[in-house]
Amino acid sequence: MSKIVHMATTAVASRVGLNIDQADDLNTGLDELLRLSASESSRDKPFCVRYDVHPDRLEVLAEDVNASFRDGTSKVSRYRRFILEKVADRFEEKTNQGGSLNVLMVKFLKG
Amino acid sequence: MPKRTQNSLSREEIASLFHTYKDNKDPVVKNVLVGAYMDLVHSLARRFANRGEPLDDLVQVASMGLLKAIDRFDPDRNVQFTTYAVPTIVGELRRHFRDRSSAIRLPRGLRERSYLIKNAVQGFSQENGRSPSISEIAAATGISEEEVIEGLEGSEATTIASLDTTTEEGDLSLLDIIGGEDQTLKLLDERLSLAGAMSELDLREQNLLYLRFIEGLSQTEIAERLDISQMHVSRLLRRTLQSLRQNLTSSSGKPYTS
Repeated sequence: MSKIVHMATTAVASRVGLNIDQADDLNTGLDELLRLSASESSRDKPFCVRYDVHPDRLEVLAEDVNASFRDGTSKVSRYRRFILEKVADRFEEKTNQGGSLNVLMVKFLKG
Repeated sequence: MPKRTQNSLSREEIASLFHTYKDNKDPVVKNVLVGAYMDLVHSLARRFANRGEPLDDLVQVASMGLLKAIDRFDPDRNVQFTTYAVPTIVGELRRHFRDRSSAIRLPRGLRERSYLIKNAVQGFSQENGRSPSISEIAAATGISEEEVIEGLEGSEATTIASLDTTTEEGDLSLLDIIGGEDQTLKLLDERLSLAGAMSELDLREQNLLYLRFIEGLSQTEIAERLDISQMHVSRLLRRTLQSLRQNLTSSSGKPYTS
């Protein structure tokens, strides 16, 4: 499954003019979120990734991420956040009305 | 009396042939140079014998390395050709074993495409000082963007990157060249408060994380610094992050999602 996500992300990143380093950054961040979701034993929902292309940026949104991502106290959580901070130009968490969590990674387009 | 080298050509004659070949790329001159160094090719190929590959195949692979070395060698630099050729030929032989010993065998077409892409990425990065985009790789290789993406992911799927493998052009392992102890590594540990999990990583793996995530180097910049390919850096980083994740899980005593 990760290969499909990687290929889709690389393809979209390429379309908006990001180079392979930047595409790989997004894939590294998505890997963390994907593993987090895949490790939920009770998960019966698909792992959804949304790509929003703006004139100045690419937004990659992982939807309905395991809420344990919010936990800022465990080492694993700190590690995961650190990686996302580093690979994305901006990253933020968005809590939905139903309480589920989306994680957004943004890469700004140069030029 | 001038010192004789292989195939009864003197050093002066060899040097002269290299200058001639550099100027006109005459295939006849190249053939003479190949003949002069075939003993070296056989000698290096024999080093890799008894590893399950026929010696004739290894000689062919080593010959390819020799051809590349002849093409790339700059006689104006004050370096003996053998100094330049040996790592190139050995690198070709190692690459041969590495490609043939993939954990997952790719279809030949995909394997060749991955190799083509890898070379294009290296060439582009060296020329432009930045990583190429998919479309730039496609333009350089003459294959479609979809095939480039497939090739990139395909190459990721086959290689079990090891820090113990030797680099393409030397006898040092990646572990040897990534670096020594660096006090600034503590920054990474302090930043993440990952004492325990980090310490279980090899020092060089910690350095790799440091270069990427604290110093903020791109994969291409790390590749240049370590003299390996960007794709290799990508694989190593993923593997190192995976190790760190596993260490975190075991050190916390909780499942990964804790």
